[in-house]
Amino acid sequence: MNKVSALIFGCNGYTHEIVKNIKHKYENIIVFKHKDESRNLELERSNVEIFDFTESWSFLKDIYDLDNSISFCVLEDDAENIFLTISLRSTFEELNIIALSKNKESATKLTMAGANKVIPMVQTTASIISDILDKPIVTDVLHSILYEKSDLKIAEIEITNESFFNGKYPSDIEWSKKYGVIIVSIIHEDLSSEFIYSSKAKHHAIKDGDIFVVIGYEADIKEFKRFIGRN
Amino acid sequence: MKSFVVDWAYSLSVSQSYQKNKRFVHNCLENDDYKYKKYFDIFMVILIFLSVSILIREVKSHVDDFWLNFSNYFVSLVFFVEYILRLWISSSVSNIIIKNYEHDDMLDIEFQLSSTFYEIIKSKLQYIFSIKAIIDLLAIIPFFHQLRLLRVFVLFRVFKLFRYARSFQTFTSVLATKKFEFITLLMFAGIVIFVSSVLIYVMEANEANSKIDTLYDAFYWSIVTISTVGYGDITPITTSGKFVTMMVIITGIAVLAFTTSIIVSAFDEKLDEIKEVKTIDDIRKIKGLYIICGYENIAKEVAKQLLVNNNVLVLDEDISRVEEAKRDGILALNYDPGNIDSYKKLRIDINTQVRAILCLRESDVENVYTTLTVRSISKDVYILSLLINDIHKNKLVFADANEILYTKELVGMIAREFIGKPVAFEAIHTLRAGYKNIDIDEIIIDKRVLSSFATIGELNNIKYRLVLLGIYRQAHKRFFFSPIDSTILEHGDYLVVIGNKVFIKEFEKYLHTKSINE
Repeated sequence: MNKVSALIFGCNGYTHEIVKNIKHKYENIIVFKHKDESRNLELERSNVEIFDFTESWSFLKDIYDLDNSISFCVLEDDAENIFLTISLRSTFEELNIIALSKNKESATKLTMAGANKVIPMVQTTASIISDILDKPIVTDVLHSILYEKSDLKIAEIEITNESFFNGKYPSDIEWSKKYGVIIVSIIHEDLSSEFIYSSKAKHHAIKDGDIFVVIGYEADIKEFKRFIGRN
Repeated sequence: MKSFVVDWAYSLSVSQSYQKNKRFVHNCLENDDYKYKKYFDIFMVILIFLSVSILIREVKSHVDDFWLNFSNYFVSLVFFVEYILRLWISSSVSNIIIKNYEHDDMLDIEFQLSSTFYEIIKSKLQYIFSIKAIIDLLAIIPFFHQLRLLRVFVLFRVFKLFRYARSFQTFTSVLATKKFEFITLLMFAGIVIFVSSVLIYVMEANEANSKIDTLYDAFYWSIVTISTVGYGDITPITTSGKFVTMMVIITGIAVLAFTTSIIVSAFDEKLDEIKEVKTIDDIRKIKGLYIICGYENIAKEVAKQLLVNNNVLVLDEDISRVEEAKRDGILALNYDPGNIDSYKKLRIDINTQVRAILCLRESDVENVYTTLTVRSISKDVYILSLLINDIHKNKLVFADANEILYTKELVGMIAREFIGKPVAFEAIHTLRAGYKNIDIDEIIIDKRVLSSFATIGELNNIKYRLVLLGIYRQAHKRFFFSPIDSTILEHGDYLVVIGNKVFIKEFEKYLHTKSINE
């Protein structure tokens, strides 16, 4: 059986940080280094393969379980990154591709090239900086939740026993008093995300298949999951 | 006598009240940065306008004695006092005496009063004969109103206006840079006027029908012609006279064009400087300023985002980037952010006026250098710096940056979150970006809020459809998630709420105005 893997295209500082952050989830991480990229000795000690843009990539499906794998396109040159993304997407329709772009313009092109998620570096960094300055406490709280720097966690929980709620609306229930968690958003079947107190969410009875985005302490979240379904 | 003079000089220089008064007068008269100077300037401008209005009115109408006395005595007295005060602060007599005494004492030679007095008189005369002081003096003269001729000196009071109008000072300083060109032009025009006047006088003065009778007429004609005004009251009648006229007209056009081009080029060269002075003046009035050092990719985006609700100043040593910032509608100066002089030139109090300094160059060397520079000026100002290569992180920590942002680490963390909880990640991202008008915000609990609300349960956030994520207790620097209703609010707490932007604003208003409404 082919391995579930993380494929990282590009061998640079970003690669190093991505490897550091995902190795807890992916045992098999392969770094594809473009032949023109400069040597990165630290990364070259791990699983590194050399590629160039004439590669057909079809060999990947023989080695890896691409439907369940994830790929990162992090070449420093935006044009090359777009070319790489489009090459991968044209070969593998289902591959989950996360790509890095310098700015919004490239981000749009990467989305058009088939990336599932694009991280526009400049905008992301700038937003974080202005958030730190404008809303330092909010930023601190969200970062500690998102990047697991505190005991607070964020989780996605899918509803599987709607009968538990008996047709109630999400805003009618005092979640934090009853279960010690806070429901921030509800994702409906059509994958649209709604704030719990938004008009749409207020008129949408809880039903199976809804996903709750929940913030709380780990034990409370686990307890809550037991009530309403599974992760 | 000598020791008395020296003792007197020393006593003045150490007298706090004397120095304080002198400083106050100096600030009122000369220091544009002094907040009360503008009131003094306005007062003087009003006096000048009143004085000139009385003069104009007096030409054909009767003016009350009150107003005449006001103009002749009160205004003149105020101007006289101002003149004396300006003379007083123009140089320090005590400093000159002390300087000369210490100089002679150090060289072990006898202290000479005569040479010291000579130096004092020289310094005062230097002021008295300056153009501004002469205008000030002439503006006082209408006090001698019995001498009708001297009344016209009231017009010098108009010239005094220039002392209080900074734009005129800018204008003269700009023209002063072209002094050489103006002198050359003036000499050229003077020679042409002189030669043409003599020529026309020689050619026309003896003609019966000619209106040029004297050399004065010839000068008058020459100046009217060369200036291209050409009243036509005096015209040449001889062929040779007409030839001279043509030459003068052609020269006049050249002189006029040359004068215009000198003024234009002077302003063109000084335009950036003038704009810079104006920008610095604007900056000095701003509080809660963000200074962004460098204007590259990330800096541009940060500036754009901060500009929505804040005042932003960009400092960059690269002129093209500064121009780009200006085109983007941001206050920007072509100053090196790594140079202490740049901050001195801004004349701002970094501790009170600046909210944060952001070192956003895409070079760690520059960012470390700027951080150190800023920290050497202020120990307290908040500094945020970008980190491009993590091997330099310890240098930024050592330079004492408050917040260090390593962009590559961010990508790693985003990747981690995205592979783990993509839906939650998107939900939080949506919140932070403020899409669909849903926002996450912090509301401070100040004394006003505390006077109406004692516990979390009383806040009634549900009514405003807000999720209370928790409270941040400033005193403990700790976040309390989803606090129970009986939690007692403390001064300085922050509520972290999620909800519709409009409702958050309404809720904040409700917290602050509940006591009034009740």
